[in-house]
Parts: sequence; structure tokens; C-alpha cells
Amino acid sequence: MLETITLFLELVAMTLVPYALCSLGIMIGGRTGVFNISGEGIMLMGASTGFLGAYFAGNSAVGLFLALIVGGCLGLLLAYLTETLKINQFIIGICLYIFGMGLADLLYKIIIGVQLTPPLVQSLPKILIPGLSQVPVLDALLNQNALVYLTYALTPVLYYVLYKTRLGLNTRAVGENPKVADVVGINVVRTRYTCTMIGGMLMGLAGAYLPLVFTGTYMPLIAGGRGFMAIGLAIFGSWRPERIFAGSFLFAGIEVLAFRMQILKIAVPYQFLLMLPFIAVLILMGVFYKRAEFPAAIGSPYSRE
Amino acid sequence: MKTIRASRFAPYLLRLSPYFLAMVVAFGVIGVLITLLGYNALEAFHTIVFVPLGSAYGLAETFKKFVPLLLATFAYAIPFKARLFNIGGWGQLLSGGIAAAVVGLALVDSHLPSPVFVLVLLLVGLLAGALWALVPAGLAAYFAVNPIISTIMMNFIAVYLVNYVATTDPWKAPLTGHAMTLPLPEEGWLPSLVLGVHAGIIVAIIANAAVYFLMNKSVIGYEIKATGANPIAARAFGIDVKRAILVSLILGGAIAGIGGAIEVMGIHHRLVEGFEMTGGAQYGVLGILTALICAGDPLGVPIAAFFMSVLLIGADAMQRTMGIPVEIVFVIQVLVVLFVVLARKVKLG
Repeated sequence: MLETITLFLELVAMTLVPYALCSLGIMIGGRTGVFNISGEGIMLMGASTGFLGAYFAGNSAVGLFLALIVGGCLGLLLAYLTETLKINQFIIGICLYIFGMGLADLLYKIIIGVQLTPPLVQSLPKILIPGLSQVPVLDALLNQNALVYLTYALTPVLYYVLYKTRLGLNTRAVGENPKVADVVGINVVRTRYTCTMIGGMLMGLAGAYLPLVFTGTYMPLIAGGRGFMAIGLAIFGSWRPERIFAGSFLFAGIEVLAFRMQILKIAVPYQFLLMLPFIAVLILMGVFYKRAEFPAAIGSPYSRE
Repeated sequence: MKTIRASRFAPYLLRLSPYFLAMVVAFGVIGVLITLLGYNALEAFHTIVFVPLGSAYGLAETFKKFVPLLLATFAYAIPFKARLFNIGGWGQLLSGGIAAAVVGLALVDSHLPSPVFVLVLLLVGLLAGALWALVPAGLAAYFAVNPIISTIMMNFIAVYLVNYVATTDPWKAPLTGHAMTLPLPEEGWLPSLVLGVHAGIIVAIIANAAVYFLMNKSVIGYEIKATGANPIAARAFGIDVKRAILVSLILGGAIAGIGGAIEVMGIHHRLVEGFEMTGGAQYGVLGILTALICAGDPLGVPIAAFFMSVLLIGADAMQRTMGIPVEIVFVIQVLVVLFVVLARKVKLG
């Protein structure tokens, strides 16, 4: 029994990373008023460039770094189109999603080409924490790759910054009431650009995680809707890092369960099990959406007039 | 005389000029991009224009893409008038295809006359698409859930449902490498008109006309647009906003559902996994871009859809003759949309 729980927790901790990173990225931008719904597209770009970087450098750190940069650039592009050119955030989000999806495949096909056996990269190594990684149950959570630890660390750090520091207060002010923020001397546009860029970086990392941990290679549609589920997470996590982390744990749990049940050959056809995470999002949104709080200024660009 | 005539045409030209400018800029950027990727941009443009439009065969292929794309575009265009973002055209199209295939196979021994059979399957596709949109529509109307996410969730559910039907008895075709069902009885096929262009194009034209009248000449169309312009004001003036939300999403889904049924009945004659894709792109997703080009205007949709179909066939041809991966079509189309949206904004602003 204990072994089953340990294995389950270990898989869940490994699986929650892309949900959590992407959703935290959406949260950071959203808190300043920029709703980036293109997470799926940025994740795909992160997956493609992350894989290519890791493959050609022979070093997964290079891939992660490349995905981080690419994600940041796409975040900046989104900020430019929505804040400076003031085009609707949802329209740009949809366009950027499709753009990322297409360009990710395009880059992979141009650089690698179509091959019978896909080229593989080594998966991220697991890092043990001396002492703690031998404690029962805890060993499941602390026998993981670096990005899992990053996700563990990022959640409390973001919580602290957002709620306990002047910087966080300023950031939230930009998303709640940009005019007042502007009056008290906060640079609204710069805050939005910075946070959307950081958000894009996290989405890029979330994407690179997929080939570097799950599959070892890039394939079309590898993000599998996680970038969209992350939007749901950000919303019914009320744009709070700690709730988003908890929600990621839940989603990862459903994903792992669906996958395990598939192996155990339960009477339900596996396609219906794979639908579970998506059905869960629909139900959760029906229950929580009305109660969900949004940053007041989300969705609209800021202009001084 | 001449000046009068010029002034009469001037407003139209002025209205269209941002589009032309946007196209020129977009294709300039695309040319640079293609060159940077190491291909010959002039050859690429030549291929994009002359393969889809330069021969009867190419034109027929273009129209084959045009039909599902036009119908998928309305899935986004109609709710867009109510300021709702339906990203679920993909799933709604799939559900129409699934339903047409399942019902068509159930009626194998029915010996229905072909016109009746075809109409039944089209209706089934319509209902399935409407049903697929019903969930996000209900969530939007009664629980205030933004359809962006709910419609996407329905897409993935539909993708797995296609896989289930295409790989499970009694529907699956035995001994095929690719997931697909048994073929529909021939009575359920859409007849071919000319060069492989099937009767689905007639259905598409009828649907387009119906949407035009519904959106521009009917009360519910007005209510949908009023809801989109200002839901609070619309409610204050006694418009049933919930009904407008439900109708716009379900209508969009129904039309995409017909599109799915048409693809199954006219092109593949069975449910094939991935039937909603063309060169790696889902019609549902391309429909969003198509609707954005023409701002969802029912008279602009066929023009935009034809333009996008030309790009699709052009991209197919570029892959064959120049080796440019077909996914470049996404990048091209997004750039066109971005510049058009931007041009429209500058013009209005």
C-alpha cells in the first residue's frame, strides 16, 4: 500500500510541473492585467526549441535556457501587440497560440526532418536531497528532477513577493487599478511588459519539460491541452500561486490515475479515461467560475487618456 | 462625370484599402521569413497563387477545402458577434463527423433512398454539433463561464471520442493501420458534382445564406449583435441575453457539425482519425483565423474562406515542390490576420 502511494505521489509530483509552471506564468501576467491565453502555443514553442537546444548541445540545460528565452520573447510580443498596439488580448492570444503551434512544428521539421526513429535526448536527471530523500513518503516528492524543485520553490517565492513585498503590491495594483497605480508613480506599461515576459518564460520552461522529461523527443501537439487547462487552473485558483499549485496537484493526480487505470485494463475504454482531466475542468469551472475573482483590469490595455 | 463616379466608389475603396495594405505588408514579411528559412520566396509566391488557381484541378482542390473551412468559420463568427470566443469549432466539427458515421453505419440495411439518407445524416451532424456546443453554451449562459476554455475542453473530448469510435467494434474497419471506421453505405455519400467537388458546396452556400439572413434580417440576429455590443444595455432594453448567448454558440456549433458530416459523407465516406485536419491544421482552428480576417461578417466569410483555402492548397504545393513544411501555412495565415486586424484598428481608431 505504502509503495503504491509512494509511486503515485512520485508520478504526480513529476506530472504537475507543466501545469503549475504554465499556470503560474498566466497568473503573473494576469495579475498585471494581461490575460495570456496562448500558453499552449508558447509551450509548444518551448517544447520544440527546448528539444532542439538539448539535442544539438547534448546538454538539457541549453535546451531549457533556449525555451526560457523563446518563451520570454513570445511574452514580450504579446505585451507589445496588446499593450502598445492595443489589440484585443483574446484575439492576440488565439493568434499566438496558432502561430506557436505552427512555428514549433515548422522548426522541428526543417531542422530535424521526418525520420523513422525519432532522435532522443536524455531525460533530466533526478536529484536526491541528502537525508530527506530516504524518509518514507517524503522520498516520493524529493526524488525528482530540477524543475520539480523549481516549481516547489517558485510557489512560496511568488506568494511572498506578491503578498508581502512592495513590488508585489505594485504589481497587483497595476492589475486592479492601473490609473491609480500610474498616479502613485508605478510604471504601468513597464510592469505589464515585464510580468508578461516572465510569464512567457515560465510557459516556455513548461513546454521544454515535456520532451526533456516525458517523451525524450518533440512531436506535434505534445502539449496535449495542458496550456489550456492551465488557464482553467489560474481562474479557479483565483490567481493565487498557492491555490494554483494545489490545483496542479489535483490535475496531475487525475492524469496519473487515468494513465494507471489504462494500464490496469479497467472495463472503461481508455479513451474515456483520457477525457477525465478535460471533463474535470468543465465541472470545476461550472462550480467555481462564478465565485472566481479576476484582477479588475484584466483584458483591457492601459492608456492614460 | 468622372469625379462623381470616383466619389461613388471611393467609400468602398477606402473600406478595402486597409485590407490591401495589410496583405502587402503581410506578404512582405512572409517573403522575408521564407528567404530566411533558406527558400526562394518568389518561387513560393508563384506556387501559392498558380497551383490553387491556375488549373481546373487546383481550383477543384481549393473548393474541397473551402467547404469545411467556410462551415467551421461560422462556428467562431456567429458567437463572435455576441463577443463570445468559441474555440470549439474543432470539436463541434468532429462531433458532426462522428454522429454522421455512427448513424450512417447503423442504417446500413435501411435501404433509404439516397436523398433521404443524405438529409438524415446532415441533420444528425447538425444536431451533434449543436449538442457539442450546448455544454459550453449552458455554462456560459447560466454559470458565466467564459467559453474560451470550456470549448477547448470539448475539443479534446471529441478527439478521444473519434479515436474510440474508429478503433472499437462494431464501427472499426478491420486490418487498417490507421484508425478508421467501415465505409458508409453509398446511399449516404454526397454525390460528386464536377472534378471531385461534391454536393457539400451547395449545403455550404445555403448555410451561408441562412446565416446572412439570420444575422442581418432577423430579431435573434439583432439580439445577438446587441448582446455583443453591450450586454448590460441589451439587458436593460429587454433583450434576453442568456438566449442570445445560447443561440449564438449552439448555432455556430450546429453549422460546424454539418461541416464535419459533409467531410465524412463527401470526402472520406467513413470516419477517419484526423479527418478534420488538412496538412496538420484543423479546420476548426483555421476557421478562427478566417473569421478574424473578415470580422465575422457573413458576406465576408466566403471571400476570406476562399482566400484561406488558396493558401492551404498553395502550402500543400510548396511542400511537394519546394520541400517547405506545410506548417508554414499557420505562420502565413497568422501574419495576414495580425496585419488585417491591425489595419482595421488603425482605420477605425
